[in-house]
Amino acid sequence: MNPIIIWTVVILAGLGLVLALVLFLVARRFRVEEDPRIDLVEKTLPGANCGGCGYAGCHAFADSAVKASDLSAHYCPVGGNDVMQKVSDILGFKMEAKAPQVAVVRCNGSCTARPVINEYDGAASCRVKAALYAGDTACPFGCLGCGDCVAACEFGALSMDPATGLPVVDEAKCVACGKCVAACPKSLIELRNKGPRGIRVFVACRNTDKGPVARKACSNACIGCGLCVKACAHDAITLENNLAYVDFTKCKLCRKCVAACPTGAVHGVNFPKEVNNG
Amino acid sequence: MAKTTFAIGGVHPDDSKLARACAIEVLPLPSVVYVSMAQHLGAPAKPVVSVGDKVLTGQVIAEPGGFISAFVHSPASGTVKAIAPFKDLAGREVPHIIIDVEGDEWVEGVDLSDTLITELPDREVILDRVKACGVVGLGGATFPTHVKLNPAPGSKADCLILNGAECEPYLTSDYRIMLERTKEILVGAALMQKALGGCRTVIGIEENKPEAIAAMRSALASLPYSGIEILPLKKKYPQGGEKQIIQAVMHREVGSGALPISVGAVVQNVGTSLAVYEAVQKNKPLITNILTVTGNCLPVEKQHNYLFRIGMPLSYIAEYAGGIPKGAAKIVSGGPMMGRAISNMEAATVKGTSSILYLSEESTRRKLESNCIRCGRCAEACPMGLEPFLLRRLWKAGDMEALEANAVQDCIECGCCLYSCPACIPLLDHIRQAKGAVLGAIRARAAAAKAAAEANQKNS
Repeated sequence: MNPIIIWTVVILAGLGLVLALVLFLVARRFRVEEDPRIDLVEKTLPGANCGGCGYAGCHAFADSAVKASDLSAHYCPVGGNDVMQKVSDILGFKMEAKAPQVAVVRCNGSCTARPVINEYDGAASCRVKAALYAGDTACPFGCLGCGDCVAACEFGALSMDPATGLPVVDEAKCVACGKCVAACPKSLIELRNKGPRGIRVFVACRNTDKGPVARKACSNACIGCGLCVKACAHDAITLENNLAYVDFTKCKLCRKCVAACPTGAVHGVNFPKEVNNG
Repeated sequence: MAKTTFAIGGVHPDDSKLARACAIEVLPLPSVVYVSMAQHLGAPAKPVVSVGDKVLTGQVIAEPGGFISAFVHSPASGTVKAIAPFKDLAGREVPHIIIDVEGDEWVEGVDLSDTLITELPDREVILDRVKACGVVGLGGATFPTHVKLNPAPGSKADCLILNGAECEPYLTSDYRIMLERTKEILVGAALMQKALGGCRTVIGIEENKPEAIAAMRSALASLPYSGIEILPLKKKYPQGGEKQIIQAVMHREVGSGALPISVGAVVQNVGTSLAVYEAVQKNKPLITNILTVTGNCLPVEKQHNYLFRIGMPLSYIAEYAGGIPKGAAKIVSGGPMMGRAISNMEAATVKGTSSILYLSEESTRRKLESNCIRCGRCAEACPMGLEPFLLRRLWKAGDMEALEANAVQDCIECGCCLYSCPACIPLLDHIRQAKGAVLGAIRARAAAAKAAAEANQKNS
């Protein structure tokens, strides 16, 4: 055989062996000790790296969860109770089940209910619009309609409804990560308990103006009349600054408030037979 | 004619000073005035009257709510009807004192005559009266004047610059007072010069106002003051920016994050100078200012320069001037470059109101935005030497550290980047957001450092 080929093979093989030895020694010398459970926990997580848990991605969540003394500060909204059960099993903690949540848009000032009083032609961003002025309708609390929440959602769960000009949450896709909550400059989106079979009741308005002012700006506004508070037998509704709020931990889903509301600001959704979904 | 201007950036919009020939007219009082508590930069003023009180014109109705704040005086005599939130021109609710106007009876001690008083009182008297009369900078930022005229110990003013550039297109209020109240402005300049310890005083006027330059020169020759000079400036926007006019006049550059006093400069608007004159020599509080009603869809004979009282609703002024013209697509308060669109015509005038500007559809409609082609025109136009296209990208990427390193906080919001962008990208809208966020972070850091230092001091 040609000696050049033999020498080439020998030298390359020798070089390979030497370098392998170097890599082996370096890997031994500079080995980073990591709790193997971090890797296990990370693998059970959805891997969306959305930050909905409050940590900078799934690895940071796993790292922090392994070091924690209990899981009260850790909850993966994307994985939900199933994933958290697995994480608890790995780490030997007792699982605290949380009710699944969903993003809820608390504005129902649709194009027809809330007339436009001036035309906005600035940058198509709710944050920019909110910084410039009170908005293009008479309601300074309502949805600005530029879709910052839609852009913020990494799960494709939000879309703008061209008919109403308001964002719509796709409940099947929403994982309640809370990105849209942070993106809305008017703080209109709230994470609320999904409720049994998705049934829930909420006030779809954030207007704290006095009744006549609110009503003039938007026919769907909460006017702070207090009829829902009177109708509620479970003490779940509070009225503050001319605005009602339904506490989802107390609400028994009886829908008396939905029927009582004169403007249709109280919404009951996903009931088998919708009675009043203004 | 000597021509000087600031070194970098700037744009040349058509000056459109359509109302330049209109003499100042006095607006009659409306039946109700709405006086805002946030007429100045800094903390809102605190009302010192209550509902049902009788007030006289020029009476103090609110006192400063902090160190950087100012007194507010009643613009008319009448009864306080309410102290309540009222919507400003952006539709946001701001506390207002609402007064039912019954007449125009002034408080005692105010000299309402036209006699020119040229003798200058002591420095302390000047500063006291400027503060007591609620004088704020009328060049746009409405910064309380007494704070600016009283530099922190250790800093000394070398030069007082009187800003008569009025570089914003359309606006003619400064131009009109330079023609009609020339001597008063010069006495005001001499008063501020004395307050600052007798420094050099330069009145910078853009060369597109030759009549104002001539009037100022001849009036100056007839007055007994020394150390005041008139300097014609080459026309370029934004010459009236504080840092820009310092560079144009003194050839000194104010550092990033620094105040003009760090290079020995104090800049005051000519309107402020007139307000200082009236406050010190006549004891007249700042309740009036000049406003231009103009625009490119308003015939010249319907354009006006008005002397208005604070608290007059804009709709009242517009009505008095002949109503909103046909074809007005946007109504702006302030100049077309930096002014704000008015979404609520029921809002009332404040100390710093400078115009009601009616712009046509064609001149205001934003063109369709397209992609950035890295032509660099925005960077060439930026008078602060920033790179607007980069700042916008950094903001979209959310890189706050890089934004601060690229000095987004130095943006003066002049709008040159947006004006020069061939792709019609709303650069300023994004940069303004980024600036707000970075300034907030800087302030939070400073507050945290202060708290830590105080904690250290307590422990040791």
